[in-house]
Amino acid sequence: MNIIRAILLLFFFITPLKANTIYNLIKIPNLEIYEINTENKLKYLYAVRPFRLGTQKNIVCSNANKKDLKEKYKIIYKNLNRYSYDYLKKINLKYIVLCENLSISELYTAGIPDNIMKTLILDIQFNEDYFERVIHHEVFHIIYLQYKEIFNDEEWIKFNNPKFKYAKCSTCTKNIGLEKYKETKGFFTEYSKSTASEDMAEVYSHMIFLKKEEINQIRKSDPILNNKILYIENKIKQIDNTFTF
Amino acid sequence: MIKKIKASSSEKFIFVFLIILSVATFSTYFVVKNKCLFIKNFNPKDITFREPNNIAILNAPCGNVIIELYPNVSPNAVQRFVTLIRSNAYENIAFHRVIENKLIQAGDLEFGKKGKLDYGKIGTGKSGLGTIKSEIDSSFNYTKGSVGLARTFKNDTEDSQFFIILQDEPLFEGEYTPVGKVLYGIEVLKKIKYQRNSEYILRPDFINSFKMLN
Repeated sequence: MNIIRAILLLFFFITPLKANTIYNLIKIPNLEIYEINTENKLKYLYAVRPFRLGTQKNIVCSNANKKDLKEKYKIIYKNLNRYSYDYLKKINLKYIVLCENLSISELYTAGIPDNIMKTLILDIQFNEDYFERVIHHEVFHIIYLQYKEIFNDEEWIKFNNPKFKYAKCSTCTKNIGLEKYKETKGFFTEYSKSTASEDMAEVYSHMIFLKKEEINQIRKSDPILNNKILYIENKIKQIDNTFTF
Repeated sequence: MIKKIKASSSEKFIFVFLIILSVATFSTYFVVKNKCLFIKNFNPKDITFREPNNIAILNAPCGNVIIELYPNVSPNAVQRFVTLIRSNAYENIAFHRVIENKLIQAGDLEFGKKGKLDYGKIGTGKSGLGTIKSEIDSSFNYTKGSVGLARTFKNDTEDSQFFIILQDEPLFEGEYTPVGKVLYGIEVLKKIKYQRNSEYILRPDFINSFKMLN
C-alpha cells in the first residue's frame, strides 16, 4: 500500500506543469481566445495547433487559417447570438471551439457537443451550403445531452410510420444528405432518418432556421412533422419558457 | 635569520580579490536565503480604507496581503469566507496549489493543516460547513489579484478553498465565484513557494494568520 502511495506521489510531483487556463477549464489543448466579450457571454476559442481528444485520442481537429476564421466567426456569431445568456446557461453551453477538419474516429463531423464541459467544437469548414443550420443542429445536441430525461426517443419514434426504422447509429448509414426534402413526409432531410436524436436535431435546426410561414406551411401539410415540431416546441418551453423560435 | 619576503603586486591583487569574493559569497548567502528581503510588508493600520469592514488581512511568510471583500457581488460566498476567517480556520493552512506568476490556492482545512498534511488528498478536503451555491452571474473582471472560491468540476461545490490570481484571467468570469481583490501585497503572494514541475507543492508554505480588520 505504501509503495503504491509512494509511486502515486512520485507521479504527482514529476508530472509536467500545464498552466494553461483554457486547458484547465475545458480540457482541450492548443486553444487561444478568439472573442470573449459577447452579449450572451459565449466564449469563442480557436485552435492554434491541431489537437487530439478522448481516451482513444480519436477526436481530431486542425488549426484554422485566420482568413477562414474571420469569415466563419461572423456567421457563427450571428447565429449563436440569437440565444440569450439565460438560455445558454440552462442548456450548459459556454465555450465555442473553432477548428478545421473535425473528425471522430476518422469520420468527419460538423460539431462535437460536450455539455459537461459546456463546450461545442465546430468545424468551420463543414458543408458550406448548410453551415448556418448545422450550427443550430449541434446546439440541439447540447440541449439533448443536458436534458436526457426530457427528450424521450421512444415517444419520438411513435410519431413515425410504424414500418419506419432508424439506423442503429448516426454513422451507421450512408444516408447523410442535409438538403431539405421538397416533400417532407415526416422528415426534413435524409439525415433525419439516421437516429431519433439526429431527427430531433434536424427538426430543431429547421425550426430555428426556416421562416415562420414556411414552418406553418409544413405543419399544415405534414402531420408527422407537425407532431415533431410541436414536441420540440413543448420540450424547449419546459427548459426555457421565454424562448421563441 | 628569517628573511622577510615582500608580496608581489599580483599576490596582493589575488589576496584582495579573495577577500572581496568571500565577503560577497557570505552576504549573498543571506540575501538569497531571505526570499522576503525586498518585499514590502504593508501594515493595515497605516492605511485608510473606504470599507474597513470588508477588509481581510492574510499573513503569509513574506508579509501581509490586504484583501477587500465584495459582499455585494457574492453575498453567500463572502459570508462563508468571513465565517471561516473569523473562526481562525485558515491559520496554518497550506498554500497547496501554486503556479508561478499565475495562481495560488489554499484553504483545504481537512488535509492542508500544518503537521497534518496529507499529500495524497490535499485539495479535496472539506470545511465541515457544507458546500454553497456558485455565485457566477454578476459581471466580475478577474484581473490580477482577484480572489475567488475554488470548486470541484461542478458548480455549487464551493466550500473553504480559495485562490488568488497573479495575472488577469478573463475566462474565470462566470466560472468561479469571486469574493474580493487584493489591494496591497501581491508581491508577498509571488514569493509563496512553488515548484516548476508541479502545481502541487511538496513542503508548502502556510498561512500564518487570516483576520478581518474589524
